[in-house]
Amino acid sequence: MVISDLKVKYANSILGFAWSMLNPLLMMIVLYFVFSNFYKEQTNLVIYILTGLLVWRFFSIGTSTGLGSVVGKPSLVTKIYIPREILPLSNTLSALISSMLEFCVLVPLLFVFGVGLHPTVVLFPVLLTLFFLIVYGFGLILSSLFVYFRDLNNIWDVVMQVGFFACPVMYPLTQIPGKYLYFYELNPITRLMGMYRDIFITGTIPGVMDFAIVLVFGIVLVIVGSVIFKKLQRRFAEEV
Amino acid sequence: MPLLMKEKPRMAMDDAIVVDSISKYYRIPFEKKRTVYENLVGMFGGNKSYEEFWALKDVGFTVKHGETFGVIGPNGSGKSTLLKILAGVLYQDSGSIRVNGKIAPFLELGVGFQQQLTARENIYLYGAIMGLAKRDVNRKYDEILEFAELKRFEDMKLKNFSSGMYVRLAFSIAIQTDPDILLLDEVLSVGDEHFQKKCMDKIDEIRKNGKTIIFVSHALPSVKSLCRKSLLLSGGKVVAIGDTEKVIDIYHSMSG
Repeated sequence: MVISDLKVKYANSILGFAWSMLNPLLMMIVLYFVFSNFYKEQTNLVIYILTGLLVWRFFSIGTSTGLGSVVGKPSLVTKIYIPREILPLSNTLSALISSMLEFCVLVPLLFVFGVGLHPTVVLFPVLLTLFFLIVYGFGLILSSLFVYFRDLNNIWDVVMQVGFFACPVMYPLTQIPGKYLYFYELNPITRLMGMYRDIFITGTIPGVMDFAIVLVFGIVLVIVGSVIFKKLQRRFAEEV
Repeated sequence: MPLLMKEKPRMAMDDAIVVDSISKYYRIPFEKKRTVYENLVGMFGGNKSYEEFWALKDVGFTVKHGETFGVIGPNGSGKSTLLKILAGVLYQDSGSIRVNGKIAPFLELGVGFQQQLTARENIYLYGAIMGLAKRDVNRKYDEILEFAELKRFEDMKLKNFSSGMYVRLAFSIAIQTDPDILLLDEVLSVGDEHFQKKCMDKIDEIRKNGKTIIFVSHALPSVKSLCRKSLLLSGGKVVAIGDTEKVIDIYHSMSG
């Protein structure tokens, strides 16, 4: 189902799969010119921002498409029985694959900036798995709530916009005043961003606390999401 | 989830489906509330915003293995709701259902077909939706296309299919799922006469193989020819249950 989803997505575009590479690539080139002029002395900052953006894109695209995953496929809900968790799951998986492709684009840029690939990159699948849990958990909650509350997408859009600036995508964490830093680091997405940057840019292994917080958050989200989804899905066929 | 329901000891071995006084209501809202905003506003209003409509009320029956069981009734009597609950699409509000075996719901054919993909890709996709593993589809692939008489078109995109071809393909895949219990809802009114007959023959063959079939239809002659026992629903309640001929007589006297 994931494969067919992707096939449909790209079947009609001339460049096909190349788009999924080109889109982030073009975006990065634009951003590169913008930021390398702003921060002339810190080339690493460009890579810093790009990494943050890719992490953010997986989160925002994964959750906002996950939101519509049930409502968007009414026939699979009302006409036939399949375990409905498959809908947000397949959605999250295809977002995951897109995100992996985007990170493939990042690799040549790392060499351009002389950062190269650190051996810590082997941790990438681990981070992806942790991230997957979080996005899937959000997908479960949002998609089932969206069936009943059809303006949730607008609310979520706003949340995503606030989130974009609340996470250190465009600015370094060091600019946050010390007294807020503690609260700031409670945000699991901020943690994840830091971890991605650890393995791609500085080549250090993220701290145990990072792993623990993100993992616990992900697991709790998936459990809470599954419970909500199970409870709400009973009337899906009537409400979709 | 009726499909995964554990078997209870009360169920006799030769029972395929035991439906125990299930009821189902739909909410008919006075005013449809679909947004957070409307729900928040409605909470302060405090009055109930919907009226209950009982689509099924205390419906109970038992279908034995190998039986072909007809469900008839006028429009709006709850036939489709009953079938959807059996298929697991809807949930009953009270009562219980126990199912012994794998159910294949033929509520509507071609659900999940992707217009942009070829027939070949759709066979795998639809097979997966209907619960067939990839290697099962591989094994039955030729049989599916042969039955649908679409071998020439296997690499054509589905959007270029005629509606008849579409349904033929869907039925051919769905019939390959090898279910223990078949739920049929008016699906046989599709395709041309030739293909309809082919479907009927196939269903007859399945029936002879000792599979259980639940058949919902307005076509009383086919109910009479296929089913020995039937259930007559009206207004969500069981009116009669038993020998098809008698049930059909009651149905006639009711409407006439």
